[in-house]
Amino acid sequence: MARQRWIATAAAVVAIGTGASYVIRALPPDPTPVADFSAPFVFGRFSVPQDNPLTEEAFALGRRLFYDPALSGGNDRSCATCHIQRLAFTDGLPTAAGLNGESLEFSSMSLVNLLWGQERFFWDGRALSLEQQALLPIENPQEMAQDLEELVRELKGSRQYRRMFRQAYGEVSSENIARALATFMRMLISAGSKYDRFLRGEAVLTEQEELGRKLFMAHPDTKVSLRGGNCIDCHSQFLTSGFRDGLDGFSNNGLDKDVDLPAGLMAVTGNPAHKGFFKVPTLRNIAVTAPYMHDGRLQTLEDVMDHYNGGVVVSPTLSPLILEADNAASPPGSFVGLRLTDSEKAAIIAFLHTLTDEAFLSDARFSNPLEGEL
Amino acid sequence: MSGMKPIHINVLLAFLLALTVWHAFRKTDPPASQLRLVFQAEANGQKLVFDQFHYKNPNGPGQFRVQNFRFYISNIKLSGEDGTYLEPDSYHLVRFGAGNESFAVELNNIPLRSYSGLSFSIGIDEQANASIEPRGDLDPNSQMAWNWEVGYKFVVFEGSLILDDAILPLVYHLGFDENRRDLQFSLPAEEQLSSTSAKNFKVDVMELFSGASAFNMAQTQSVKFDRQDARRLAENYAGMISIAGN
Repeated sequence: MARQRWIATAAAVVAIGTGASYVIRALPPDPTPVADFSAPFVFGRFSVPQDNPLTEEAFALGRRLFYDPALSGGNDRSCATCHIQRLAFTDGLPTAAGLNGESLEFSSMSLVNLLWGQERFFWDGRALSLEQQALLPIENPQEMAQDLEELVRELKGSRQYRRMFRQAYGEVSSENIARALATFMRMLISAGSKYDRFLRGEAVLTEQEELGRKLFMAHPDTKVSLRGGNCIDCHSQFLTSGFRDGLDGFSNNGLDKDVDLPAGLMAVTGNPAHKGFFKVPTLRNIAVTAPYMHDGRLQTLEDVMDHYNGGVVVSPTLSPLILEADNAASPPGSFVGLRLTDSEKAAIIAFLHTLTDEAFLSDARFSNPLEGEL
Repeated sequence: MSGMKPIHINVLLAFLLALTVWHAFRKTDPPASQLRLVFQAEANGQKLVFDQFHYKNPNGPGQFRVQNFRFYISNIKLSGEDGTYLEPDSYHLVRFGAGNESFAVELNNIPLRSYSGLSFSIGIDEQANASIEPRGDLDPNSQMAWNWEVGYKFVVFEGSLILDDAILPLVYHLGFDENRRDLQFSLPAEEQLSSTSAKNFKVDVMELFSGASAFNMAQTQSVKFDRQDARRLAENYAGMISIAGN
């Protein structure tokens, strides 16, 4: 009797053990949280969606997806076609090139330090998260023209993708494609420019760069003889991106008359006070992301300075801060602008060059992982 | 149990009785209360209208519109019969916009049963103003930061004035330690705190220009770093917040 009970118990233990080990083998191990993740204190707070924590597996998957032409309907372009690392993930074109060679509406945006700054994406702020943003160019018939169901089917056909999705999230799905791409983009952190090193006390700015920094950080006030480039009224002092709070990171910077003014943020909010408002871009690596503005109309940083110095076009929604900022007490002419001297403009441009992060632009972790496989 | 002597049972009963009495008379922890400070942006006694040339320059020519109006309040303190409560990291950016003419600051877990005194500052203390540490709503990468060498703007008003068909910008960025204004509100009676209590305040934007001193926006279209101008407007904004009837 006792012997029978013992045998039955042993059999049960073996059965449970075998079953459990089968289940454990079928379940992927927990994804590895990104361990060496750090960012400068001065960048401030950020948040990562609870349902998409930063993990090594998600990053590796997102990186591969970002560079894989399989994401487009014709298998001929990837995210990296318009977001090239050495150009700080822009494409050097005034506006992105469509599938048929046509010029699209907006300039490809630089991808850097996306954990901070605005929590809306695209020039007109139409995406409310990077997860939401990531799928829109894939589906856009003029950009990557891919059907998401078709894409999921394709990726499920790949043993490697099945494994990578299983390790990062579980199943292959459009939600998990978005999550992985968002993770890759969130990890594109640049904190190694000369300006960053200056902030950490590791580098000294030249006299010209320091003058440029001071001008960047000041709103001009002729009453107290303070000269300023007024950059900081839209570009935050440490991140150099637009502000995070609400819609503070969107502005009309005086490119067009009211009749020619595109809708911009108004297309998203429906508020006429937002007509011609566009996302204030980060200025990190700005020296390598020409041409400039949402439609790439300005070729060089000199052109950009000339715009703010004397080419501002007045419209009803123009930022009052841009309309007001003037370094001359009683404006001699009838134009709106900063009225900085040539050497002051050159100083601001010299400071902008200190925002280039060479290590970021060539960081192997952000490069094409498929290149080594071919 | 059967072996327990009666004397022991009496001791036990006495102890339980003492515990019950102590429990009944002990000052219990008050329930964690909440207080919502609700700020309503107004002009001329009406809800503030944004983005339209709706208002007459109160002390000069022209019509003006409000495009941005926000300010920091800090160091909120409540005092009542059972003590005072100072909110930790008490830095709040009160901000308004079209469709958001009221803004609520929520104080949670207040260890008081009631309060009759309430104080806070417009602006922030010197220590916080000299720091780049993000605390409460302080953010050195926000619109409210001048730059780390200057500190924070306390009160921001941006808009424009139409004068002889010209649109003139109005930019009042007011800061500097000397322009923090400490406000004290005494209530006529002790008010109970609960999980739903609220206090309403009116914020009259016109007080910026017609408070202690009359300010003509056509004449002075911007105030930023000029200490005298900033002080004049600080005297005015010191009176822009008042308790509204609940």
